[in-house]
Amino acid sequence: MTDQQHIVSSFDRDLETIQAQIMKMGGMVERAIADAARSLESRDEELADEVRGRDKAIDALEEQINAEAARVLALRSPTASDLRLVLSVIKISASLERIGDYAKNIAKRTSVLSTMAPVNGSPAALRRMAREVEEMLKDVLDAYIQRDAELAYEVINRDQDVDQMYNAIFREFLTFMMEDPRNITPCMHLHFIAKNTERMGDLVTSIAEQVVYLVLGHMPDEPRPKGDKTSSDPSIAPA
Amino acid sequence: MYDTPTLERTVDSNTVKFSARDVHVFYGETEAIKGVDIDILDNTVTAFIGPSGCGKSTFLRCLNRMNDTIDICRVTGKILLDGADIYDKHIDPVQLRAKVGMVFQKPNPFPKSIYDNVAYGPRIHGLARTKADLDVIVEKSLRRAALWTEAKDRLNEPGTGLSGGQQQRLCIARAVATAPEVLLMDEPCSALDPIATAQVEELIDELRQEYSVVIVTHSMQQAARVSQKTAFFHLGDLVEFGETGQIFTNPRDPRTESYITGRIG
Amino acid sequence: MTDLSTQDAPFAGSGSSLMRRRNRRQVMLQGLGLAAISFAALMLFVLIASLVSTGYKAFIQTHITVEVFVDPEEISVEKLPRGGFRDVLLASLQKEFPDVEGRAELRSLQNIFSNGAQFQLRDMVSADQSLIGQTVTLRAPVSDPFDQLAKGLVKRETPEQLRRVSDREIDWFDTLDAAGKISQPVNWGLITNADSRFPELAGLKGALVGSFWALLVCFLISFPLGIGAAIYLEEFAPKNRWSDLIEVNINNLAAVPSVVFGLLALAVFIGWFGMPRSAPIVGGMTLALMTMPTIIIATRAALKAVPPSIREAALGVGASRHQVVFGHVLPLAMPGILTGTIIGLAQALGETAPLLLIGMNAFITSAPTSPFDSATALPTQIFIWADSPERGFVSRTSAAILVLLTFLITMNAVAIYLRSKFERKW
Repeated sequence: MTDQQHIVSSFDRDLETIQAQIMKMGGMVERAIADAARSLESRDEELADEVRGRDKAIDALEEQINAEAARVLALRSPTASDLRLVLSVIKISASLERIGDYAKNIAKRTSVLSTMAPVNGSPAALRRMAREVEEMLKDVLDAYIQRDAELAYEVINRDQDVDQMYNAIFREFLTFMMEDPRNITPCMHLHFIAKNTERMGDLVTSIAEQVVYLVLGHMPDEPRPKGDKTSSDPSIAPA
Repeated sequence: MYDTPTLERTVDSNTVKFSARDVHVFYGETEAIKGVDIDILDNTVTAFIGPSGCGKSTFLRCLNRMNDTIDICRVTGKILLDGADIYDKHIDPVQLRAKVGMVFQKPNPFPKSIYDNVAYGPRIHGLARTKADLDVIVEKSLRRAALWTEAKDRLNEPGTGLSGGQQQRLCIARAVATAPEVLLMDEPCSALDPIATAQVEELIDELRQEYSVVIVTHSMQQAARVSQKTAFFHLGDLVEFGETGQIFTNPRDPRTESYITGRIG
Repeated sequence: MTDLSTQDAPFAGSGSSLMRRRNRRQVMLQGLGLAAISFAALMLFVLIASLVSTGYKAFIQTHITVEVFVDPEEISVEKLPRGGFRDVLLASLQKEFPDVEGRAELRSLQNIFSNGAQFQLRDMVSADQSLIGQTVTLRAPVSDPFDQLAKGLVKRETPEQLRRVSDREIDWFDTLDAAGKISQPVNWGLITNADSRFPELAGLKGALVGSFWALLVCFLISFPLGIGAAIYLEEFAPKNRWSDLIEVNINNLAAVPSVVFGLLALAVFIGWFGMPRSAPIVGGMTLALMTMPTIIIATRAALKAVPPSIREAALGVGASRHQVVFGHVLPLAMPGILTGTIIGLAQALGETAPLLLIGMNAFITSAPTSPFDSATALPTQIFIWADSPERGFVSRTSAAILVLLTFLITMNAVAIYLRSKFERKW
């Protein structure tokens, strides 16, 4: 990477503009995750509605970023790091948009859950998981803006923690549901929330991979660490 | 044919045509080329890019000894064509230039008829015994340069009466007529409009089937479009030489990066 | 600052003093250029006008037509080409003026004829001997004083003792004129006659042929040598101190005064080699020395003007150095070379001083038949005539200058035509 300026300074301004939009979008998505988790914990239906409403702005921003990126591709014919920047911007915005969708989904389930009896202790675990994802997102955006491949690798590794949290929550919900069938409906909702959060972690990881590609010119070498064993490990399944 | 990765689609020969080792070129006291090592493959378009005065044209002109015509120019090192040193005393530069054809920046047909333009090289090298032989060579060369359909009815009209793009293709036909093995092109499209440029680029891609093509270009986009291998020259050094896709998506040297992304460097 | 009027019309700055000054300068410069060109045109006009006004009279010649009885007593087949042609002519005039008697009177009458009339008659009779004993009609030039009288250059108002023709002679002339025996046809003799002491007979043939031989020799020597030297210097010679030295010397040579070349030719060609004096071959060689630098410089310029792309193209398809030069560069440079050569030859045609030094201002009454015969050239002929005392040579000098100018203009026109025709073929 180079911090030199382009000879054509308007090219620099174009690239800065789309990066600023990515950062803005990242900020909006971070807030959506945090608010969704908070509304779940505090059973705040109003906040949940707000999160769902703000998702439209995130979608619109993604569209705008894609349009800008297409313009830069057409008009500037970027090469090398510039090309990788534009490509990563397109992918990162798509990932952010998906994360935003998951946050919206969490908020939607929160509205449903607030009408039911609370399940003991589970929202706090979910809240921790969401906070972890939120931290990862914050770090990956920092890594992006500072072109820090180290930090991006670290984020990729932290996804394992999220996966493990999800495993724990998965087992916990299984237990709850087996204990009392009335818990099944709220637990199914809560499980989806946990699964969504886990997916968010995966998307943050893919953003981190884009950061690595942007900085180093190639995708991360080592296979992506997998912590989610619920789909492959039969021992977790109920007997 | 679609199962090969696009990035590797292009290089399909491993035969080395030109092999340069530690080539230095001096203009009087100034060193224009500072030790270049490069292997140019057969059936491949190799692009030389770099800022003005970086030595890419100078190096290109070493490959057919066009620099010989400049008195103060001195070349050291080895340049092997099919394993034979072209700067060897026994090599006649005139014969070499028939084997290594050249196309120049400005279309420069001779002020003669289209036919004579193409026939000139075969005539002076005695490649045709009879007029019929010569006719065959002229037609073949014009076909190869994708000019036959446009020119076949006006072979006796002056070559200078053609449009710029046609003139450049005529120059390519003229170069092809001496049955060369390598075609050197020194910014062949810089005087052409985009359509004529596209036609010449298409032609270059076809010529790759039979020749090793080396093209110097100021347009990085052109290098990206037509070449399979790209060499980046800077201040007389060969900074980076590699597969074109790699050079344009992920150059290894920061100087290459600065140049191809249009940064000051 | 924010003046409303300038805001409304941003280009209305013509009122500013800067703009006014700039415009004034522009007008002044154009005016000066126009004045210079007008002055040059005026001078050229004055020159041509004065030449034409004095010279046009030499293009007609006063002739007298007489019936001559070729008296067999005076002229016989055996004595040809000798014979009393003079007396026969006089007799034909005596018929017109029977009252003229006495030797002096008769000589005056005889003097109406040019000295060449008797030779004209002689040539007629020699060509056709059957004319002896017959009466023939002869149209012969009148002598210079009567020619001048007819052309009004000798004025009747001038007192008799100051005029070259007496009142009596004027009477004779007027009588002849009244009888329709005087005519003024076009003077082809100016071109077809060689030089003569008698203005009415003097022509430029010797000078034209002499100039032709001299120019031919000059061309044959300077053209191949000049082009050869230029090609070598421009295309093959290594660029070093020696070629620089040669280049400087060639440029200096072009600036050497022509009289120096004449001295050189006198010493070398005539002194050492013992070549004939006054001969066009020596003149041509001298002129070749002078023309060569011009041709070399013009050729080098023409070779330089051939775009390097053509050379590269030829080299690129594997042409050798001499194939490039003789197959491509030289043909393209040819129009420029020819233009330079013609201009050089035109210069040589007008050159006088070196020819004077090698004796090409001799008085020679027959045209040369080879470049080794003595001859004059056009400019030296003008020089000789301008020096001659007879009144008739005044207009002939101007006429000769007009002839010379016609040749020069023609040659330059050809040069311009060649240049425009072949200009930028590539």
